[in-house]
Amino acid sequence: MSIGDRIRPIDWRERSRGTVDYAADLAAPAHLHAAVLRSPHPYARLLELDVGRAERMPGVRAVLTHRDFPPDALYVHRGGPLSDRPPLARDVVRNVGQEIVAVAADTREQAEAACRAVRVRYRPLRAPLTIAAALAPGARALHVRTTGERNVAVRWTADWGDVAAGRAAAVHTVEGSFVYPSVSHAVMEPNTTLAAWDAEREVLELWTSTQSPWFIVKEVAHLLGLSREQVICREVAVGGGFGAKSKISEHEVLAAALARKAGTPVLLALTREEEFAANKPRHRFETHLRTSADADGRLRLFEADIRVDNGAYNHMGSSVMRVGVITLGSMYRPDGVSFDARLVDTATQAGGQFRGYGTPQVSLAVESQVDELAERLGIDPIELRLRNLGAEWTTTLCGYEVTTNRLGACLEAVRDGLDWNGRRADRTPGRGLGVAVGMHGSGAYAYEFANRADAAVDVYENGGVRVRFGGADAGTGQRTILAQVAAHELGVDPADVDVLSMDGEQTPFDLGAWSSRGTHMTGSSVGQAARELAEKLKDLAREKLGPGDVVLAGGHAVRGEGSVSLGDLVRLSPDSRDGVLSHETSYVLEGTEMLTPDRDTANLSPTYAFAAHGAEVQVDRRTGKVTVLDYVAAHDVGQAINPTLVEGQITGGAAMGIGAALGEEIVREGGRVVNSAYVNYALPRSADLPRIRPVIVGGSDPAGPYGAKSVGEMSIIPPGAAIVNAIYDAVGVRIRELPATPDKILAALAEQEGRVRRFGLWRRPDRWWVALVRWAYPRGLHHVLHRWGTGFGPGVGPRPDEADAAVPAEELVVADTVSAATAALAAGGVVVGGGTDVLTEARLHPSRPSRLVSVAELTELRVLRWRDDGGVEIGAAVTLAELATELAASAPAVAAAVRTIASPQIRNAATVGGNLVQEKRCWFFRNGFPCYKRNGATSPCYALLGDHRFQHAAVGAHRCQAVTPSDLATVLLAYDAEVVIAGTAGRRTVSLADFYTGPGETVLGPTDVVVRLCVPAAALRRRGAFEKLALYTGDFSTASVALTAAIDDEGGWTDVRLVLGAVAPTPWRLTTVERAVDGTVPRVAELRRLVDAELDRHGHPLPGNVWKLDAVAGLAETAAERLLTTEGVLR
Amino acid sequence: MPESTALRVNGAQVTVTTEPRTSLARVLREQLRLTSVKLACERGECGACTVLIDGAPRMSCITPARLVRRDVVTAEGLGEEAHDLQAAFADHGAFQCGFCTSGQLVHAAAILREELPAGVELEPFVRQRLSGNICRCTGYNGLVDAVCAVAEERR
Ligand code: FES
Ligand code: FES
Repeated sequence: MSIGDRIRPIDWRERSRGTVDYAADLAAPAHLHAAVLRSPHPYARLLELDVGRAERMPGVRAVLTHRDFPPDALYVHRGGPLSDRPPLARDVVRNVGQEIVAVAADTREQAEAACRAVRVRYRPLRAPLTIAAALAPGARALHVRTTGERNVAVRWTADWGDVAAGRAAAVHTVEGSFVYPSVSHAVMEPNTTLAAWDAEREVLELWTSTQSPWFIVKEVAHLLGLSREQVICREVAVGGGFGAKSKISEHEVLAAALARKAGTPVLLALTREEEFAANKPRHRFETHLRTSADADGRLRLFEADIRVDNGAYNHMGSSVMRVGVITLGSMYRPDGVSFDARLVDTATQAGGQFRGYGTPQVSLAVESQVDELAERLGIDPIELRLRNLGAEWTTTLCGYEVTTNRLGACLEAVRDGLDWNGRRADRTPGRGLGVAVGMHGSGAYAYEFANRADAAVDVYENGGVRVRFGGADAGTGQRTILAQVAAHELGVDPADVDVLSMDGEQTPFDLGAWSSRGTHMTGSSVGQAARELAEKLKDLAREKLGPGDVVLAGGHAVRGEGSVSLGDLVRLSPDSRDGVLSHETSYVLEGTEMLTPDRDTANLSPTYAFAAHGAEVQVDRRTGKVTVLDYVAAHDVGQAINPTLVEGQITGGAAMGIGAALGEEIVREGGRVVNSAYVNYALPRSADLPRIRPVIVGGSDPAGPYGAKSVGEMSIIPPGAAIVNAIYDAVGVRIRELPATPDKILAALAEQEGRVRRFGLWRRPDRWWVALVRWAYPRGLHHVLHRWGTGFGPGVGPRPDEADAAVPAEELVVADTVSAATAALAAGGVVVGGGTDVLTEARLHPSRPSRLVSVAELTELRVLRWRDDGGVEIGAAVTLAELATELAASAPAVAAAVRTIASPQIRNAATVGGNLVQEKRCWFFRNGFPCYKRNGATSPCYALLGDHRFQHAAVGAHRCQAVTPSDLATVLLAYDAEVVIAGTAGRRTVSLADFYTGPGETVLGPTDVVVRLCVPAAALRRRGAFEKLALYTGDFSTASVALTAAIDDEGGWTDVRLVLGAVAPTPWRLTTVERAVDGTVPRVAELRRLVDAELDRHGHPLPGNVWKLDAVAGLAETAAERLLTTEGVLR
Repeated sequence: MPESTALRVNGAQVTVTTEPRTSLARVLREQLRLTSVKLACERGECGACTVLIDGAPRMSCITPARLVRRDVVTAEGLGEEAHDLQAAFADHGAFQCGFCTSGQLVHAAAILREELPAGVELEPFVRQRLSGNICRCTGYNGLVDAVCAVAEERR
């Protein structure tokens, strides 16, 4: 018996140690590395494409363009008129990041250099970048579509049920527009393919990060003109999928074609930046919904207008839209549903498959409005949902034939788990509870053969068992589940079962792991194969042991007292080959249906899973920050085959859903992704989440294998609405557009509280010029600077012609004295401290200085010394971790500030000096935009019209809107720190207040080195507090406050320092406020009023970051409170 | 210019070839075939490449190999120290795809060598410390539970 057991993952030893091989781990030194040249334009005609120079570059072995494919080559994807994407761009590019050329070379760096040497001429076209722009009159069409509507790839409208009856019964109606943005899978293993071409056998082998080798083989064979038998996937570990790897991407075909052309194996691994900016994220849904209920709280009607952002090509958009829309007619039982859905082409990266597949997007709207109606009706939200549950064994409006349905039990589990009634009765300010429910199938009949799965089971003479299946396990634990299933049927220990997946020559037909079909389809096929094999074994055993009941247990066939080992039975069988008895079978699922053009309802799945999630949140009214305090995720999964794995799917999906609810979104500017890095992508880190509490409500579904239903996708569906419902419950703010970031909440709270800021710019002549420029930006100035001005700059990244010019020999100088360091710098070079930034900068902006001067080993810089007077000298090469330890007792606010910086690993390397002098973190500046600071005076600042909500200045910015990112600077300024600088002309000391000249810019000259910081004893005797608002643990500040004061026995403050970080180009001391509270026993409200007055007097925010002024004022309040009440340490 | 660089990795003295900007991670993976060191971002932002340098967890993808002076330990080199931790990882569902796991294991091993600071609770401490290691699969429950369980056991 192993069904229902908490079996360890079958390869747990190797996997936890990191010794299983993922595709990139298999690359041998002789293999080639590939890079892809991608479009920098969202929409452009290709006028010229010349790869001559690239082909002659050192190390280059193959260069691939569209000419290497047949002229009409397109990915199949959904097929028919929906096929529209060529493997490499031919005459037009339709999104930033579209593949144009692929190069294989001896090293990745050589391949990248060759990409830069390709000559491409573009004629940019007006690009429809958003749904609204694409549907606007006069928008330019991206494709010719069969709908007849410009930029509408697919349109689906229908009425289900009795819409008129629903309308007649409606007593309460709520209406609103909801947005679920495009989010990234952010899989930890970037998409990777290792391809090898065997010219003799004419066979292509692929080790590729996929959830479904079948689709890879299909597309690669199609595009390379091979038969499917010629394309063989091999088993390899896959580092996370979530849908990202469930269909073909582009790396597989490119790696394969390069390998064939070069005649040498090729590794193509996407970079993290490509993974964010060029892979296929979740489709953005804009859902306008009207939900009606009767007076008893019965839901009667859903009416929806849904617009789905397809991106530039049809990937899976048509089916994602369908599955999303189906949400309206699946979970509840209204009289009618009416919808009009459009899949809209935009000149952005194509959307792809993502866990939940459209359902989380529409659920956000439905489950928010169910709560709105609950409030309208005065009915508890859980109670209202219980009243509207669908019944078991019924057919829903969308055609689903529901079998078991334990959603009611899930809701009860949330109610109990969260102590819902108790906590709702006993309100804590700023706290709220929210609930949402969801439903998902267990494998959709979405393709021909999707209702079939084959599997094989082998038994060896030594008694070992092997399962073979053609799918792939990207991390869900499917291999372990299948081992359990086989072990269960054959009466062996799951640890004795080996599993082979995804091998084109050895594993039978299976469409793979997508649409939550792994456990149902492959679990069924493996179960059937093992059962049939068990019967064979029992027959063999009867020959030996005599007729009668035989059971398989403990690796033996047992009949009464007699037993024979499975290995012996293998030896006995005439069907055994080479000591193996194999059995292969085909499982075909009956009773499911496909959606076809002429029918818009169907029973897509054999069983349906349900879940209810409940969240308790705390909303900080001062900053808009939401903290999830508690989270219960109750699931109806039927029988859990392995509860540990099921719980893992629940917590993982819930965490991902919470991430999307609170922080994640792909941000673009001019069609280009701005936040193509983990540092700019607020997915949850471990300290950002509470313990998510999974509940498996129990049950068994007769239609599922061993009673099991799906779980993998279900868990990501409810979190969005559960969180926004909880936020509403907490502070009365309804967020309809995810993510619910602090800016949205604080702006809504300001409106709720009637707070308005007035900046009186008319009486501040020093801001008139800036105001004029800002006025002119959207009126053409940005366009002129972007389109023409950037051409005058040196460009971003290495020059194309630098690619084959002799790159100056690089040098790393390890300085052993300060004067040696300054001397080395005098000969040209840059300082390396902890070295946390230098390699990344070199990779992304390789206009590289040829000399690096390491100062991290300078003894003088490594010292942290306490002076006799009680002051402290901190060497510039002291690490942040060392600083936090050393100052933990004497300046806890500094230690607290340091502990909010980046990660422990970074703090172990990063130095105090390096932190202070780090470049600005503006995501336009860092992530490849040719901005004013990178590219010179004729280039625009992209932050003015781009997304500037979090890390740009709201006070005092000029042409660049960035801020100084160092939290250390903010906090040390409140401690009157001074900086000792050494240069070729000797040493000098400047106060930290005078150290910064602009955002991340300092008084340091090219040959200067920071030697140390000095904090005077008097400052260390003051009390301090540091408060920071960040989007995730370790992020750079969105806003921060450092406050120090000497506090006497009566509570009077003197010697006050109040410094605001990340709101102005440099850390900003509010001296007026300091003076006003000096000598008083301040009250928090009074301090807030003073701070607000200063912010209004000096503020000059951008449209999207006015809220930061409120946030920073809120932080000042909290800091003051800490000083007044505790010893001033951040948690 | 390529140079020979001496390193001490998992207890053995080795010589590798480096350029000034060659990362420790690339050296470990490509020259020493220590592929437990994963590259998920090559920007120092995710923790997949975490190794110990002189006992302290560091991001090897952004560490210039030439500037490494002390002992380097990867997951392969943790030896017995990791055995109970690995078992706890498996029992608590601390990994799914496994891509982040060797980095988590290395970091967890370092955390378990430390004394828990006075007045600090174990679970929030572990959550804070592991925040430099992104896991996209598990939602962190299993990881945090596993590290806490081993910390309690070893006490
Ligand atoms: S790969 Fe090193 S931190 Fe991500
Ligand atoms: S186990 Fe997959 S990222 Fe952590």
